[in-house]
Amino acid sequence: MNGFTLVNILGALLIVTSLYIVLERAPRKAAFGYVVQSLVLIGCFLALGVTTGSVELYEWSATAFITKVVVVPSVVIFLSKKIGDAGSDLEPRLTTTKAIVLVAAEVAVCFIAVQGINLPAAAEVKPALAISLAHFFIGLTCIVTQRNIVKQLFGYCLMENGSHLTLALLASNAPSLVEIGITTDAFFAVIILSVLVYRMHNVAHTVSADDLTELKG
Amino acid sequence: MEIVVAILQALLLMLLAPLTSGIGRWLRAKIHTRKGPSIFQDYYDIIKLFKRDDVRTESSTFISRGMPVLYVGVCFVLAMGMPMATRACPIPVLGDIILIIYLLALPRFFFGLAGVDRSGNYASIGGIRELIVGILVEPSMMLALFAAAMVLGTTNVGAMGGIVGSMQLASPVGVLVAGAAFAIACYIELGKLPYDVAEAEQELQEGPLSEYSGPSLGMIKVAMTMKQILVVSWFVAIFLPFGSAVEMTVPAMALGLVAYLVKMAVLFLVILVIENLVARVRFKLMGKQTWAVVGIAVLAFVFCALGI
Repeated sequence: MNGFTLVNILGALLIVTSLYIVLERAPRKAAFGYVVQSLVLIGCFLALGVTTGSVELYEWSATAFITKVVVVPSVVIFLSKKIGDAGSDLEPRLTTTKAIVLVAAEVAVCFIAVQGINLPAAAEVKPALAISLAHFFIGLTCIVTQRNIVKQLFGYCLMENGSHLTLALLASNAPSLVEIGITTDAFFAVIILSVLVYRMHNVAHTVSADDLTELKG
Repeated sequence: MEIVVAILQALLLMLLAPLTSGIGRWLRAKIHTRKGPSIFQDYYDIIKLFKRDDVRTESSTFISRGMPVLYVGVCFVLAMGMPMATRACPIPVLGDIILIIYLLALPRFFFGLAGVDRSGNYASIGGIRELIVGILVEPSMMLALFAAAMVLGTTNVGAMGGIVGSMQLASPVGVLVAGAAFAIACYIELGKLPYDVAEAEQELQEGPLSEYSGPSLGMIKVAMTMKQILVVSWFVAIFLPFGSAVEMTVPAMALGLVAYLVKMAVLFLVILVIENLVARVRFKLMGKQTWAVVGIAVLAFVFCALGI
């Protein structure tokens, strides 16, 4: 098994973990799912780093470990503790089956879309590239189908993971500064969004997107 | 040699099936902190049942008379083809997944029909529900297996297990997800909690049993445990073939047998824990859960088709 195969396998595991994040109703459990996913992503980076010999990827995995495995999940867990696990019984807009089939369809469509890309850097890791693209849509699915705004926050995180993986696959030699520039904005976004969710819950006593319609134009 | 292994394993399975269910009942009682029956209780029950008369309603026909024999017979045939201690099927013709799915559907069909045949109200409802469970579970089972077969390039259980055992897979995650979907489908097929209470009134599955007595009931009891073991063996043979005997020699097969027993013990322990952790699902909600399994199987299919 060469390194690129390992990257592709880890990429497929990313889909499985993000599916868990989309389907799990309790934000706290989804946060642990996110920890697992981030570890898989870091595994991807390390495997890519070993295979392509790019030293930058090791630095990326270190920063990703701090932001994605430690900080972001703890922010979300802290938030859901603060709001007393509100909204963990909210039904998503899609049933489990439809959500899984939708994700499967998204992955398939992204695979077809990626076939048109003929970059030398992406020749070996086309499946992983398709998966990173699919993550953008899975994140979008999470935002659109979830009623719980804490879960919608995870949709944003999934999209961010996807773009992070795309960057690692296509520009593995990019300096860490670029990478930090890309990951830290997501990191601040999660903190700001968490503060917003907390304030909204304080004022409206709900985290359901259906009830939060005061600002609708 | 293969024929001897086939007949031997089928006979052993039939003779040891009540012991397995007996150990299951005993462990279940231990988890409930009850004293529980002896592990040989199911043998006593079956011996007692064979001494009794067979009582039938007037309206019953050959269907309910023939069903117990058919059920045991089909399980025996399945047991001859299923790889247990060995990696390859003892009788390759009987080890095809499509054949196994149909052979499992055959007694289920007659089981449901027997419930209607005896013209008892409760048995009829139970029989129909048994059929519905079958209809809900089979698509996900088939889809998961076909996804795996697509990657592995064969529909023979032994050959599939051989490729999985060699760890040279074209799409490892696809096979993993297919295995997960198949495992859940198998669990539903077993007829354990949350989908059925085996020791209580058979409301969900096994409704037709309430109309059976005597030797017929004894035969069905043996056959049902055989089927449970066979379904778990089926899963083990395809997705967890590690440790089974690749060659048909006596020492290799002895080691394979030990590995098989260990795998089965672990899996049955897991099943027992799940069974004691959950309450029974409402019949109406069961469809939702089986559809989720179909969803996972679809995901496996996509993964396998894309080769990841």
